[in-house]
Amino acid sequence: MADRVPERLGEAVEAGDVGFGGRWPKETIVSLGAFIVLWQLASMVLPPFVAPSWGRIGQSLLRILTQPDFIAVTVGRVALALAVSFVLGMALAMVMYRWRGLERYGMPFIKLLMAVPVLCWILFAVLWFKVREVRIAFILVVVCAPIFIIDVLDGMHGVSKELRDAVRALRPTARQFFAKLILPATVPAILTSWKVNLSLSIRVVTMAELVGATSGIGYALMQANETFSVADVFAWTVVLVVILMLANIAVTRLERRLLVWRE
Amino acid sequence: MNSPAPLARPGNADILVRALRKVFRQKGSGVPVVAIERLDFTVPRGEIVAIVGKTGCGKSTFFNILIGLEHPTEGSIEVDGRTPYGEFDAFRGRIGIIFQQDRLLPWRTLLDNVTLGLEIMGIDPEERRARAERWLHRLGLDGFLRAFPSELSGGMRQRAALARAFAVNPEILLADEAFGHLDEVTARQIRGQFFEMVRAEGKTAILVTHQLEEAIEATDRMLVFGRPATLLSDVPLRGCRPEDVGGLRARIQSVLESNEPDPEFATTRESS
Repeated sequence: MADRVPERLGEAVEAGDVGFGGRWPKETIVSLGAFIVLWQLASMVLPPFVAPSWGRIGQSLLRILTQPDFIAVTVGRVALALAVSFVLGMALAMVMYRWRGLERYGMPFIKLLMAVPVLCWILFAVLWFKVREVRIAFILVVVCAPIFIIDVLDGMHGVSKELRDAVRALRPTARQFFAKLILPATVPAILTSWKVNLSLSIRVVTMAELVGATSGIGYALMQANETFSVADVFAWTVVLVVILMLANIAVTRLERRLLVWRE
Repeated sequence: MNSPAPLARPGNADILVRALRKVFRQKGSGVPVVAIERLDFTVPRGEIVAIVGKTGCGKSTFFNILIGLEHPTEGSIEVDGRTPYGEFDAFRGRIGIIFQQDRLLPWRTLLDNVTLGLEIMGIDPEERRARAERWLHRLGLDGFLRAFPSELSGGMRQRAALARAFAVNPEILLADEAFGHLDEVTARQIRGQFFEMVRAEGKTAILVTHQLEEAIEATDRMLVFGRPATLLSDVPLRGCRPEDVGGLRARIQSVLESNEPDPEFATTRESS
């Protein structure tokens, strides 16, 4: 897990700064405001293919929003892949928790999967699968599912001995022990994992869509790049950031509801 | 699961500890460490027994064997012929435990914490809610049924832990330094409630404690453990007069400090 810490910290900062569900802190508003002003100033000096003005970006955004199909396609791909990754990740984590031998043999393999760069997965997907949607789903699942497995397993192992003994002393069946102690105690880890995977999957899906897809935000980005439309690239980037923010707000709200018991 | 056969047989001793020995192996070095050297005693039904001993004397190991979480190396603990560690499931709902810390599940409300043992026993929802409410009411926590443990003081949480232990209607109650982490006033108050409820319900109770005076005043008998755990003294306390408390305290303290068998206890044991 140690090798994942920097990434997790980065994700946490991102989730906290961009995707919170409450009011925006002063620093965030100042920082974003400064960026907007500086960009506008740059657009006055630099040619439009380097730094398009907010007016041009706004026009691109309006055009995108009147044809939201590509947004829906990308969001749909991410949602489906995350759902599959979560179910798979939970199932494998539970199996590994139940049979420690499987964990001992399975974990090195999962860590190996996590060490493979996303670009390699994209190339493998192109080599192994014909159907475009299968390629995209494969890439997303192979990147996200291991994170669910590792975080959920960590959460399960992290249940304190004190609570384990207290519940064991009530003499539950194995199923009761898992349902009444291990699973609810793992909810915070599951939610953290969702936050990490949401931002990861949004970034990965656009890369996956660059290869072979004929729809989706990644495809649109590639087209914008080919026509040197920096305003469109920017507009799509804004859309991606907003999608991630909305998803993070949803998870944060869910977190507040589910973890209301925390101090 | 709902109605296991009662463990107790009238006339029998509730808890029988025979030549109990427990040796751990140190992680890493594998060096054996004796936690319990030899323990022999019985606790008859309905008796309230205090166990005292220095820190690290094996009280908690004894406690863990008694609640069935660990196996002895030699000897046995039997409750009416059954071992809590060997026939683990047979003791479901029969032993109520109050740990050093409250050990409430933080994501459950007080009510749901108290119903936990009843859920495990398969009691139906209405009955378990009624039972939990009754015990929380008895412990003065009516207004906090829907509160989470993090919202409450240590004393309130420990009261909820008492409610959880009593709600399963156990035959035996065990408390492992259950009130030591609370401030003195709160600890005295909750300890008082504990003894009152144990007496009122006619339970057998064993409590590991550091509070000599209160244990002398409130329990029927005190077992003094040496280090590693052996029985240094077995002091009957029933009918103990207030003026005897000081002398008994001094005697027990001197046994604890010397880690040698109590001469009075040795004489009694030999003559019996």
